[in-house]
Amino acid sequence: MKTMSTLDFEQINAGQTLPSLTKHVTVEQIRQYADASGDRNPIHLDESFARSAGLPGVIAHGMLTMAFANQMVTDWLGDRSLLKGLYGRFAGMVLPGDDVTCSGSVASKNDETRRVVINLVVTNQRGEKVFNKGVAEAEFPATKEQ
Amino acid sequence: MTDSRWVGRSYETAPFEVTEQSIRDYMAAVGDLREDGELTAPPTYAMVYGFDAYWQLWTDQEVALDVAHLVHGEQRFNFQRPVRPGDRIRTTGRLTAINARGDMELVTFELKARDAEDEPVSDGTALFIIRKP
Repeated sequence: MKTMSTLDFEQINAGQTLPSLTKHVTVEQIRQYADASGDRNPIHLDESFARSAGLPGVIAHGMLTMAFANQMVTDWLGDRSLLKGLYGRFAGMVLPGDDVTCSGSVASKNDETRRVVINLVVTNQRGEKVFNKGVAEAEFPATKEQ
Repeated sequence: MTDSRWVGRSYETAPFEVTEQSIRDYMAAVGDLREDGELTAPPTYAMVYGFDAYWQLWTDQEVALDVAHLVHGEQRFNFQRPVRPGDRIRTTGRLTAINARGDMELVTFELKARDAEDEPVSDGTALFIIRKP
C-alpha cells in the first residue's frame, strides 16, 4: 500500500503519459462491488437473468470500470481531492475474466488556473474499447501546503 | 417507449451518513487501496452516496423504465469537495430527458449532492440506454 505523495504541478507536461492500470475482473469482484455500491441489478449477479435480458452473461457495472479509470488518475495525482471532474462513455461490456487496462495522457495544462485535463480510455484484453472519450480534470492548489 | 411526460420528475435520497467502513468497503470492492493520509473517498464513491436516487428512478412503477434492458451509456461527474467519514450527503436526481435513437431509448438523469450545510459536494449526469427487448 502506497503512502501519500502528491504530484508536483510544475513537473506535468502536456502530452505526457500516465502510468497505466490493469485490472482482472472476476465474478467475486462484481458481487463485492454490488454489495459496496448497493447496485444489485440482476444483470450483474444472476447469470440466467442476464442471458434472458439478451446479454452474454453477467456483466460488470459500468461504474466499476469508471472507478478503475478514476484510480489510475488519482494514483498518478497522489491526492484524491485534486480530481474535479470525470467523464466517459461505456463503449463495451466488461465480463468476468476480462483484463481491462486504463490508459491516459495529459491533454492540456493551464498554468493560470492550475488545471490539468487528462484524456482516458479503457480497453480489454482484445484491445476493444470498453470506456472511451474519457476526460478527467484536476486542479492543483495555488500554493503548496506546508 | 417510456412516456415523456415523466421528464422533470425528481427523487431525493435520505441523508447518507458516510462512514469509514462504507468508504473502505468501496475501496476494497474497486481495488483502490492507496492511503491518502486523512481517509478520503475515491471520487466515484458519489455513486454510493447517491445510489438511492438512481434506485428510486429505476423502481418508479409509474415511469416504468425497462430496467432489464437498461445499461449505463455515459457518466459525467464534477466534484466540488472531497468526501470523508462523518459527512451527511443528500442527493437529488432529476429525469431531464427521454430520447429515441434508432431502436434504443436514451434516458438522462441529472444529480446534485449537497452536504449538511447545504453546500455542494458533487454533481453528475448519467445517460442510460434502454435496448430494444
